Amino acid sequence: MLLGVSAVLVVLFGITIFALDLTFQRSTERALEELLDAQLLGLIALAEPDPVLGLTLPEDPADSRFNVADSGLYGALWDGTGARIWQSLSLLDRGVDPGPLPEPGERRFTDIVMPGLAPARGLLMGIAWEYADGKVGTFTFGAMVSLEPYTARQQSFRRNLIGWFAGISLAMLVVIAGLLGLVLRPVGRLERQVRAVEAGQRSQLSGRVPTELKGLAGNLNALIDTERRRQARYRNTLDDLAHSLKTPLAVMRTLLGDSGRTETAEDAELIQAVDRMEERVTYQLRRARASGATGLGMEPVKVAPVLDDLKLTLDKVYRDKAISAEVAASSNVVFLGDAGDFTEIAGNIIENAYKYGRARVRVRAWNEDGSLRLTVEDDGPGISPGEAEALIERGSRADESVPGQGIGLAVVREIADLYQGQLTVGESDLGGAKIDLDLRRASYDSERM
Amino acid sequence: MRVLVVEDDQVLNRSLSEQLERAGYAVDRAEDGREGLYYATEYPLDLAIVDLGLPTLSGVELIKGLRAEGKEYPVLVLTARDRWQDKVEALKFGADDYVVKPFHIEELLARVDALLRRAGGWAQSELVCGPIMLDTRSQEVRVEGEPLELTSFEYKLLEYLMLHAGEVLSKTQITEALYDQDFERDSNVIEVLIGRLRRKLDPDGRYKPIQTLRGRGYRVALARGNDAESASEETA
Repeated sequence: MLLGVSAVLVVLFGITIFALDLTFQRSTERALEELLDAQLLGLIALAEPDPVLGLTLPEDPADSRFNVADSGLYGALWDGTGARIWQSLSLLDRGVDPGPLPEPGERRFTDIVMPGLAPARGLLMGIAWEYADGKVGTFTFGAMVSLEPYTARQQSFRRNLIGWFAGISLAMLVVIAGLLGLVLRPVGRLERQVRAVEAGQRSQLSGRVPTELKGLAGNLNALIDTERRRQARYRNTLDDLAHSLKTPLAVMRTLLGDSGRTETAEDAELIQAVDRMEERVTYQLRRARASGATGLGMEPVKVAPVLDDLKLTLDKVYRDKAISAEVAASSNVVFLGDAGDFTEIAGNIIENAYKYGRARVRVRAWNEDGSLRLTVEDDGPGISPGEAEALIERGSRADESVPGQGIGLAVVREIADLYQGQLTVGESDLGGAKIDLDLRRASYDSERM
Repeated sequence: MRVLVVEDDQVLNRSLSEQLERAGYAVDRAEDGREGLYYATEYPLDLAIVDLGLPTLSGVELIKGLRAEGKEYPVLVLTARDRWQDKVEALKFGADDYVVKPFHIEELLARVDALLRRAGGWAQSELVCGPIMLDTRSQEVRVEGEPLELTSFEYKLLEYLMLHAGEVLSKTQITEALYDQDFERDSNVIEVLIGRLRRKLDPDGRYKPIQTLRGRGYRVALARGNDAESASEETA
């Protein structure tokens, strides 16, 4: 940006310098010509008839510079034959080559080269001199000015000009850079906000944008909002589907399990069919509901309150077991993603611990290098390496797994995969199982911190 | 035991209610949230079963509402969505347990039973008061280890009294807990049943298991069995 501006500045100033230089040169030339004109007229006015040469000039011309050697102002007079009949003292003994002489009455400016002197500008003027006796002689007067001082002035003017303009350019660039920074700062802020929204650190662009960017920010917010609504609508549809599928299943089950009903041979088969349907429906719906989204408009989920709520819930549900659960997660631990996804993952794992634990459950969560770590331990019978393998194995499907726990952990796997999660099953020092979950795409990258 | 079922699916509501009645509960039914909240706050309930996805007023709102009215009986939530967020929310706002649809009726009955026990301060399904042991799961009653035959009404009455062992229960309370609304309140059925229970439980008049507090009601005054001991046995 700044580079472009400086290029434009250089071109513009280049043209300006060129134009000014040309103007200066022209005015110098005009001044020079006026000077020559005046000097020439002065010489003509001083000319006296001379019986031998035809015309002569006095020893002491009007401008004393004619008499100072190499003064830069020179004069000369030629007769009709082209012979030089007078030349100013300032020329010393140097000759002057005027080129072809002008006709009487003609004025001609010309560049004149005089040996041993700097280039000069000359004015030649042919006149017809009418003597008192009525005779007429033709002569050519010449005045010459050395160009040296003018060239020097021109050069110094040029130097000054370039110097000034360079200075001004530099000053302007600095000012423009400052202005650009000022103008672009809100854009930068907006960019950072968009990045924060992307990272899930904030859910909307703030209103603190300049008027010029309000439209853009508004559009982005609308986009974020649309995405969020789409998600919500998708989930609502799934929820409705769940409700409309499961309630009839519940009806079938209660009717089949009705103790007042005489059991038939088909009952067992029907019950099995209902069980299978339930399992598939449950699994597929849960899987579909997992969003895995860490994109636009996601607010980071504070992990500690979710874990506390889950503990409260499970304490109530498993009150008879009087499990003493310990939740260790500092308040700044976050999950970047969908709150429902995290609650689902944590809920399933922790419920298993309550289910299989005897009296103690330990839950810990922390952020580490852009990932969220969750470990859940219990003092139950533990999980054998074989079971663990089946659990961790990829692609274990709902219909292959044990009902209840199987679906729970299969769903955990499915959701965790969306966050590049790694599930490890080990032994806890409490005596039971230790489930270690590493959700790699679920926290701030270190570079974003 | 008086149970409210709030479920908008009529078939499920009816079949669930019938099975609860068969299991010995007095059942009130509501099919939407507002109706449910009215029953939940106006009727002397021992437990409510509430579906989360209700028309007119959501299950969670209903639970909030009845807790705001100071109702403390246990609430069991039915949910089709099977979302942890829903369960957490429901339990946070006052529900006590949840059952995910579609459920096995035995599972639901076991949860109801457990919630009622807990509400009475019992941790286990075996309620022990002095020499009397009542198993809410198998509906079995033993006195000094000997099985005792009771009619279903006698059992229901004894279970109710023992669940609230130590509390004074008025005749109205007992009537409302055991019978549907249309029961004749002035009848002397409760006195008759109490008399029969006393003779069966304590033919010799040694324990005096059920006290009569004149003008106030009845009370099981026998010491509750050692809950803590049996609790640690079961989890071990």
